[in-house]
Amino acid sequence: MPFISRINRQSDYNIFSPSTPIVIDNGASYFRIGWAGETDPRVIFRNIVQRPRHKVTGETVTIVGDHDPGLLKYFDCTRSGPRSAFDSNVVYQFEIMEYILDFGFDRMGAIGSQIDHPVLITECVCNPVHSRSKMAELLFESYGVPSIAFGVDAAFSYKYNQQHGICDKDGLAISPGFSTSHVIPFVNGEPVYKGCCRTNVGGFHVTDYLKQLLSLKHPHHMARLTWEKVEDLKMEHCYIAPDYAEEAQLFQKGGKEVEDKTRYWQLPWVPPPTEEPPSEEELARKAAIKERQGQRLREMAEAKRSSRINELENELNNLEFLLQQLEQVEEKAIPSFLSDTGYVSKQEIESAVLKVNASLRKAKGEPKQAENEEKADASTNGKYPLINVPDNLLTPEQLKEKKRQIFLKTTTEGRQRAKQKRFEEELEREKKNQLEEERRLENPELYLEQMRVKYKDLYERVEQRKRLKTNGGHTNGNNLSGGVGRGERLNAAQRERMRLLTTAAFDRGKGEDTFGARDEDWQLYKLMSKDHDDDEDGADGDETELARISSRLQEIDPTFVPKRESTPSQPSAEVPRIRPLTKEDCQIVIGVERFRCPEVLFCPNLIGIDQVGLDEMVGVSLRRMPSEDACLVDRLTSSILMTGGSCLLPGMGERLEAGIRMIRPCGSPIKVVRALDPILDAWRGASVYASSLLFPQQTFSKMDYYEKGEYWLRGYQPRYSL
Amino acid sequence: MVLPTHLSFKKIQMYEKYPKGQARGRHWKHLKQILQAENYQNYPPDELNYVNIESPPSMHPCKKICDITGFEAPYSDPRTNLRYANAEVFKLVRSLPNDYVQRYLALRNAAVVLK
Repeated sequence: MPFISRINRQSDYNIFSPSTPIVIDNGASYFRIGWAGETDPRVIFRNIVQRPRHKVTGETVTIVGDHDPGLLKYFDCTRSGPRSAFDSNVVYQFEIMEYILDFGFDRMGAIGSQIDHPVLITECVCNPVHSRSKMAELLFESYGVPSIAFGVDAAFSYKYNQQHGICDKDGLAISPGFSTSHVIPFVNGEPVYKGCCRTNVGGFHVTDYLKQLLSLKHPHHMARLTWEKVEDLKMEHCYIAPDYAEEAQLFQKGGKEVEDKTRYWQLPWVPPPTEEPPSEEELARKAAIKERQGQRLREMAEAKRSSRINELENELNNLEFLLQQLEQVEEKAIPSFLSDTGYVSKQEIESAVLKVNASLRKAKGEPKQAENEEKADASTNGKYPLINVPDNLLTPEQLKEKKRQIFLKTTTEGRQRAKQKRFEEELEREKKNQLEEERRLENPELYLEQMRVKYKDLYERVEQRKRLKTNGGHTNGNNLSGGVGRGERLNAAQRERMRLLTTAAFDRGKGEDTFGARDEDWQLYKLMSKDHDDDEDGADGDETELARISSRLQEIDPTFVPKRESTPSQPSAEVPRIRPLTKEDCQIVIGVERFRCPEVLFCPNLIGIDQVGLDEMVGVSLRRMPSEDACLVDRLTSSILMTGGSCLLPGMGERLEAGIRMIRPCGSPIKVVRALDPILDAWRGASVYASSLLFPQQTFSKMDYYEKGEYWLRGYQPRYSL
Repeated sequence: MVLPTHLSFKKIQMYEKYPKGQARGRHWKHLKQILQAENYQNYPPDELNYVNIESPPSMHPCKKICDITGFEAPYSDPRTNLRYANAEVFKLVRSLPNDYVQRYLALRNAAVVLK
């Protein structure tokens, strides 16, 4: 329920006679202006001025009151925020005040060369004379106002409610305003300022407190929490707890009631698009496409294979034909015959035939003949008959043959040994696996734990080694080019080589060169060689073990996720997922704040203002009253009027009554009433006051102002009962 | 609403009073300076003025509420000076960045102010 600004320009300015006063309620939050005798002010707007620059022309314009957010398109408001003419509740910046008055009179429809109406304007209690005289000067000099009267807003409100029978002629006005709160006692319908008191806390502080708390609680939505919005939130949701401690305890305990009392402000939030799992058809379609592609690839491979087989067969035929021809050719004619085929000898052709045969078999997918041969050879030891024969019994050809046989034998034996070793290793692994399986079955938990620990250890060791090797290098350690620029880091091995090279270079230079005298010196070159870089004997073992354990863990532990390589070779497809904003993330929760913020009116200590709160102010005010008449005090407390914007907070009356009952003696009459309209009553009271026939006597003219001087203005005090 | 620059009902226009392009110093006083210039000490002490109608400090003990949650706060953190209601809030208090601590303290005018 925000206040609506009323700023339509009035068109009936002419019909009011110059004797009709203009009434202004110059509140720190709202400026209200209208004609005396009317029930409502004509124009209401927020008492602020903004002076932004036009974005294109750079011209400074003056915007008074609430502005249309649409205007921001054209104006740059970043340099100048909204400004108020008020410091606390005193007008101190008269340039801003002038803009506001300009706007107020303009909206009233003022025409002519000056404002030819008496003006009644409100001010704060005990306004410093500097502010008062400046205001008078402004009105007289700039606007040509014939006469002025100053009055206190709370007093006008009290008088208005007194006329409507809400409160008596003796009573108290409690007026929590925008930046200050006052308690003013009234005796016989006249304010007794002797007994009044002021606490510098008001609606502004409530809103500001709420704004700060909410923006501290929801730092992401700080931009949403504008002053205007928070003001609206305050008016809509804040209430005054009958007992703060009790209410806070209730909230601390939580429960259904608290849930009901907590308010949520849902900011605009768009649910993230939900990804639907692909439908059956989609899956089927994709599978079909894949199948078709596979089929095509297979067909292509098949065609390639058959063409190759064809080719090879042709070549084989050709070669065989050549061999047949060769048999018919005489021994001497062979070279000339072969010269145009590209082969040198018959043996070469034969070997080519063998080769083609082998590739043909391979192409056809037949098993290697060699293996069969090997099997056959393994049993027959008589394949190398020449080996055991002493050299001196052999002809040179046989010697050559013997060498070949020895070579063949050693290679086959070596192959056999390797095979044997592989087989044994296989057996070993099998045994190990079995053992582990047994251990696992014995105590699965413990086993899993051990595996994990082992995995972690190994992983760390491998990582450590990798780090050492690369040592922060930018190329992941495989800087094959070896061209390392200045300032670039080398890995450990490269650094060692550098060191060796430099020391070697130094050795050359001095005295007698003894390098090479000892055999160890030559070791240096081995160390320097680049091939030396990767000595990974230990590392290899660790890495294979790591791979084994991680695969094993993957088998038996569903929760296991192998750690990623620290530097993945290609950017992985999955980007770190951002948690999508949920509905709750875009909610501003207003729970305890609902009554915590208005509590500052009763407990200004909460925001560091060391003054009494509203309820205690009544006690202070009564104590300050000049006469200690118990009867009068009782009369005052039985007619307590609440006025001012903050009185609209629900629970204010009850809380005030409870608070005042605590400081008054038992059995004292206490009655707290709320003004008819806590916001507009001040203006209405002033309007009634200004329309009275005796009002002109309460005003002073420009002549008075300049003749009587500032001292007189200090003591200026209107009579409220006319 | 944008204000027109020339208003017929004014005897002295804004642009005459504050000519454009002319540097002018601060032509206004803060409330503190206004009050100082009022020289209230030269007047009898029982005469009313803006300053002496102010309310005195409260007689009640200051209510201590948790800076974060607003609940009753039996404890206060010696490191940050924030008041807190329970262990849970304490954890939060200790995890707050200093910036936030100072802003919470500033709410009750207890922040460290460097001058």
